Order: sequence, then structure tokens, then C-alpha cells
Amino acid sequence: MKSHRMKFAVLIVAVALITFGWITIGTSEEEVPYVSIAELLEKQDTWKQNRFRLGGLVEMGSITYSPDRLSVDFVMLQGDHRLPVHYSGLTPDMFKDEVEVIIEGEYQNGVLYADNLMTKCASRYEVEITQPDSDASQGI
Amino acid sequence: MALLGSTSLQLALAFCGLTLFLNLAYFFNRDLRFFLGAQRGLMASAALILVSTLALLHQLMVSNFDLEYVVRYSSTATPTMYKFAGLWAGMEGSLLFWLAILGVYALLVSYLNRTRNRPLMPVVNLVMGIVMLFFLVVTILFENPFTPLPQGAMVKTSGMGLNPLLQHPVMLIHPPMLYLGYVGFVVPFAFAVAALVTRRLDATWIRSTRRWTLIPWLFLAVGIILGGRWAYVELGWGGYWAWDPVENASFLPWLTGTAYLHSVIIQEKKNMLRLWNVILIMATFTLTIFGTYLTRSGILSSVHAFAGTELGAWFFGFVIIIIASCVTLVLLRKDELVSKNRLESFTSRESGFLFNNMIFLALALAVLWGTMFPILSEAVRGTKITVGSPYFDRITTPIGMLLLLLIGVGPLLAWRRTSIGTMRRNFTLPAVVAIIALAVGMLAGIRRVYPLLSMGLIAFVLVGIAVEVVRGVQARRRSGGESVLVALRNMVDKNRSRYGGYTVHLGILFMFVGFAGKAFTVEQDMTLKPGESAYLKGYIFTLDRHYQVERSNHVALVADISVSRHDKPVTVLKPEKRAYTDQNDQPNSEVAIYSRPLEDLYAVVGGVNAESNGVVLKIMVNPLVQMVWLGGIILVLGTLVAIWPSRTDRRLKEKLQ
Repeated sequence: MKSHRMKFAVLIVAVALITFGWITIGTSEEEVPYVSIAELLEKQDTWKQNRFRLGGLVEMGSITYSPDRLSVDFVMLQGDHRLPVHYSGLTPDMFKDEVEVIIEGEYQNGVLYADNLMTKCASRYEVEITQPDSDASQGI
Repeated sequence: MALLGSTSLQLALAFCGLTLFLNLAYFFNRDLRFFLGAQRGLMASAALILVSTLALLHQLMVSNFDLEYVVRYSSTATPTMYKFAGLWAGMEGSLLFWLAILGVYALLVSYLNRTRNRPLMPVVNLVMGIVMLFFLVVTILFENPFTPLPQGAMVKTSGMGLNPLLQHPVMLIHPPMLYLGYVGFVVPFAFAVAALVTRRLDATWIRSTRRWTLIPWLFLAVGIILGGRWAYVELGWGGYWAWDPVENASFLPWLTGTAYLHSVIIQEKKNMLRLWNVILIMATFTLTIFGTYLTRSGILSSVHAFAGTELGAWFFGFVIIIIASCVTLVLLRKDELVSKNRLESFTSRESGFLFNNMIFLALALAVLWGTMFPILSEAVRGTKITVGSPYFDRITTPIGMLLLLLIGVGPLLAWRRTSIGTMRRNFTLPAVVAIIALAVGMLAGIRRVYPLLSMGLIAFVLVGIAVEVVRGVQARRRSGGESVLVALRNMVDKNRSRYGGYTVHLGILFMFVGFAGKAFTVEQDMTLKPGESAYLKGYIFTLDRHYQVERSNHVALVADISVSRHDKPVTVLKPEKRAYTDQNDQPNSEVAIYSRPLEDLYAVVGGVNAESNGVVLKIMVNPLVQMVWLGGIILVLGTLVAIWPSRTDRRLKEKLQ
């Protein structure tokens, strides 16, 4: 009876270890750093992979579609930092100037070749209501 | 009406506070009147929440643009049925909606248990009261949907309207289903806590909550599947599941809930795994609140997220409190939960259930880990590291295969111990058919491991279930001389859990067929001028023409694509790109889907190039997607079989009356 319990315990531990190992390997091989443009430019040599995920705004007037419209070039903005992006594929409905996007792809020769372009939907579901500047109307 | 809404919400809070006070008073002096008061307080609170919800619905229906919420999520141009959907389109309304569902559950639980489960009910009442109080406080303090529009705010007087993406019939059912699922787990959780507190640790609480668990589990499953369906027909990327944090948040409690549904069987039959079951249901409930936290706090970037607010801290605090109380409670009762019975053999039904639980838990951990990884890695390594679909697909596919194997093997094992003879008798046919299926797959030219493996496993499970059912029917026919149909009906009726369960397995099986089909999807982006064609997987897609249509609240660019195969016309796909005029011309794609039995033809139009007259298209051929939805329907039917009272139940009830 005792040894039987041991067998089950060993089995459970084995399953746990295999799961843990499996998850760890999967994570380390599929990980994509979520970086800022500044981090990407400064530390580009220290990353072992060249696949990155970034979030930022589409620079006003930077969107240029290819003639067949199947790919697009634009500049992603994060404060003062700019990053040229090339994306192949149909752009999402919400993709336009000054929209917040998340991109994922490979960084090569100063351009991020994105294969994944998502428009962030916080702005999709929630709309800003603009309010008049209340301080100004108060006077002195 | 708005006043009625906000007042009843505040009154609900007052009653809820009173409930908790009376409930605690009852624990101190055990005067039944205190408990009855507490119960009525909770019911009153629930009723007031429902009144408040109806008031908000009314405001949405009559388009009262004095309320900020109505301005944001509705417009005069919004079709009536989608005005209804405005209730859960925004953060404030969805919290109120959450409360309303909790209210419905609270009313039902209190009413149905008015004479039953007396020893447990005070604690059940208290737990539901605490959850309700939390959501009431959060809604009233931070997210009150009855907040008037700020003075002088500059908005269109006709309202901003519901996001076009949400204007889809599925969006009328998907959120309510999901919420009914999420919130419903509070009931079995409350009973588990009550069992622990009152030291009634036998299987009574599990038996009383069997349906209370199956129902939210079903709702959650339906909600998740409908969410996938919505993504597939509305979002235009041709898939139904993207491992987005919010999707994962709904999947996690479903996984632990499924594990729980299986492991309680062991407790009912063998009085084992008592500690384990308590932990599972606690984890499931915690994950539902945690999921709400993930979706509401904006800590993870997701395509579904609501805008981040201070709510995050409150939810996080609540989750911590729940975990801390659960851990304390379990530790206090730990010794009493240890069961005396032991597993006897690896090859027993019991160990089949045990492995099932381990696999579901592994799956839940893998998903949780991947979802939380950006936060964990930032805390540990200082850099936010994300893992996307590749990680999840890679990790979960083999676990899914193991699960398939267990779905096949488990039911064929006997309780306690399976003899070699039984093993041979039960496994030979399914194994032979599985090998044949594998061979057929190989001959058909499939070389990838996972699709092949799933073909074999699916065949194995299918034959396994068939053998079980046929044997059962034959046994009845031999002993009772019943006809096939009568025997089948009686057999199912005598053990609804089991045969309902098998039917659910069958549904899951169909879904796996659909998942396997995903590996053979073909996709191409292209630009076609009118008259031009493209060839994809045996089909010829020809762009006939493109034109504009004006409708009530949008202008649509329509592309007519005729599809043919072997020179025979198949269909004409008419994908649209709409610009919603009441939404600053916000563009929205209408996908065109033509479903054949074994594959879907899927077309999206991206736009038209004014100079070249070329239309930008995305065309996909998606094999076996129908199987996912079909599997979903079978899953629902199976669960209903399990939930439905058996005839013996009904007869018993009649006798009692």
C-alpha cells in the first residue's frame, strides 16, 4: 500500500516536472520582448533575437501604401522617438493617422518589418468626451 | 428614470450592508430571525439592482442623452436591438449588468433553498452578499452609469452610437452568456465555503450544487464559443481564437471548472479528493474575478480591453482578499478534508479522472503563465516580454492531444481496477480503428504530426464512445427485451451525468476536428481588377465588379466575387467595407463567408485603389471550421442532457408533493 502511494506521488511529480519543463522551453523559445523605441535603438546588440513587439502612435501623414495596397510603410512615434515600419498585409479597419498601434516583427537595418499589426481597441470601445477648458472660464 | 436607477442602486447598497450586518449577527447569537432578515435583505438588494438595470435599459431605449453613458454607447441612429446591447458595451453598464446577473442568481438560490440546505444557507448568503457589496461599491463610487453628462460637454446631440464592431447579432448573446457563466460560479463557491465553515464536508454540498456548476459552465462555454464565432464572422482575420489575454481570462475558469466537474464525480463515488475539489472551485471563482480584473484594469494590452481606470487596484485588492480567505479556510479545515480512501490502481477510472485533472490544471497553468508573462518578466527581468499565439499553440497542442487520449481511455477503464481481459476487450476495436485512421491520413498525404495524431485519437475516442453506448443498449435489450430506441432512452435517463458527459465529449471531439483543420488553412492577399481571377486551393475567385451602396447609418463598398470550382459556379461572395456615417466615417469590414460542408470560403475587402481600379482582397479557404460550431452545439445538447432531471427524479418529486 505504502509503495503504491509512492508510485502515485512519483507520477504526479513527474507530470508536474514535465509540464514545467515544457512550459519553460516554450516560453524561452517563443518570447518576444515588448520594448520601447529607445530601448530598441540603444540596446539592439544586446538582444539575442531580433523579433520585437512595440506599441506607439502612427505619425501624422506618414502612411504610404504600396501601389497594390498590400503593404504599407509608416512611422511609429513614441514621444520624440521615431521608428520606420514596414507591414505586409491588409491593414485593420481602424488603422489611420495618430492611432495607437501594436506591432510585432523583425528589426533589420533600421526598419521594423512587421507581420502583425493591431490597432489598440481601448480607443475602440471607449470614446473620449471632450470638455471645454473649465479653468479658463472661471476667470480670476 | 435616471433618478430611479441611481437611487435604487444606492438603496441596494444599503440593503446589502444591512444583509451582511444581520448575517454576522446571526452567527453571533444564532437567532433564526436574523438569518431570515439577512436573506430577505439580500433578495431586496438583488431586486433593487434589477430595477436599476431596467432603468438604465429604459434610458438607452428612449435615448436620454442627459446621461453620459447613453451618449457614449447609443445614438438615435442605433437600431433598437443594439440600443439594448449598449447595456454591456461600456464599463459602467457592464458592471451593472454583472450585478444584475448576480442578483438573479442570488434570488434563485435563496428561493430554491428556502427549505433546503438550511445549515449551509447562512454562509452562502454571506458570501454572495460580500461579492454583491464589492461590486455595488465599485459601481457606485467609480463607474456609475447614471452619471449625468458634464455641463457644457461638447458632444453630438444624437449620441455617439454603438461601436460598429459590436453591432452584430452575436454580440447580443455573447456577453450575457459569458457573464452568466462568470458570475454563476459564485454559487458553487459559496456552497464550498459554507461546507468548510460549517464542517459539513461530505458530498452534500457537491450534490446540491451539481446543476449550479453545470449551468455556469455551460454558459461560459457558450459565451466563449460565441465570442469565437463573432471574431470569425466580424473581425476579418479568418480565425476564431487568438490567445488574447481577455479570451484567456474567460478560458481559465472554464478549464478549472471542467476539472472540477470531473473530480467531483470521484468525491461522490469514493469520497476522495475532497480537499482537491474545494481548492478547484475556489480557484475557479477566483479566476472569474481575476478575469474581470484583467479586462477592467488595462494592465495587459489586449484588443478587448476597457480603458484603464483606478478600478484595477480595487479588483486586485478583492482578488487578494479572496485568495487569502480561501487559503486560511482550507488550512483551518485541512485535517478534516483528508480522505481515507486511496487509489488502488493506475488502470482504474479513478486514476483516469486524476490524470484528467492534472492535464486540465497543466493547461490552465500554461495559459495563465503565458497570459501573465509580460507582467512577471517585467517584475523579474525588468523587461516586458510577451509570448503570443506561437507560444500558446505550441504548448497547448500536445496537452490537447493528451486530453483527447484521456477522453478516449478514461470511459473504457473500470472503477477500482481494470483487468487485462477487460482492457483487451475494451481497447482492441478503438485502437484498430485509430490505426486505420492514421494510415488513411498518411495515404491522403498528411505528413504533419499533430493533424495525423489527432486523426488517430479522434477515431479512437469516437469508436470508444460508440462501443460503450452499443454495449449498454445491448445489455438492456438482452435483459429487458426493450427496442433499441427505448433501451437507449432508458439507459441515458438512468445515468444522465454519464451519457450527457459522453455527448459533451463528442462535441469536444468535433471541435478538435475543427482545430486540426486550422493547420490546412490557405490564405492570400491580392489586388484584383474587375474581370481578373485568382486561383486558391481548387477554387477560382473572379472579381465581377465593385460598387457603393448607401444605407441608413453607413456607406458600403461592395465587391462581387464569383467563385467556381471545376468550371461549376459555387457562389458569389459579397464582402463589404463600410464607413459608418454616425461614427465619423469609421470603417468596418463585413466579411463574406460561404460555408460548404467541409470548408469555408472567406473573403474580406480592404479597399479600392482609385488609380488602378484594383480592389484589395483577402481570400481564405478554411477547412473544417463548421466542425467547431457543430461541436459547440453538441456540447450544449450534452450538457442539457446532464442537467435535465431524470424520470426517477421527477417521480420522486411527484411523490413528495
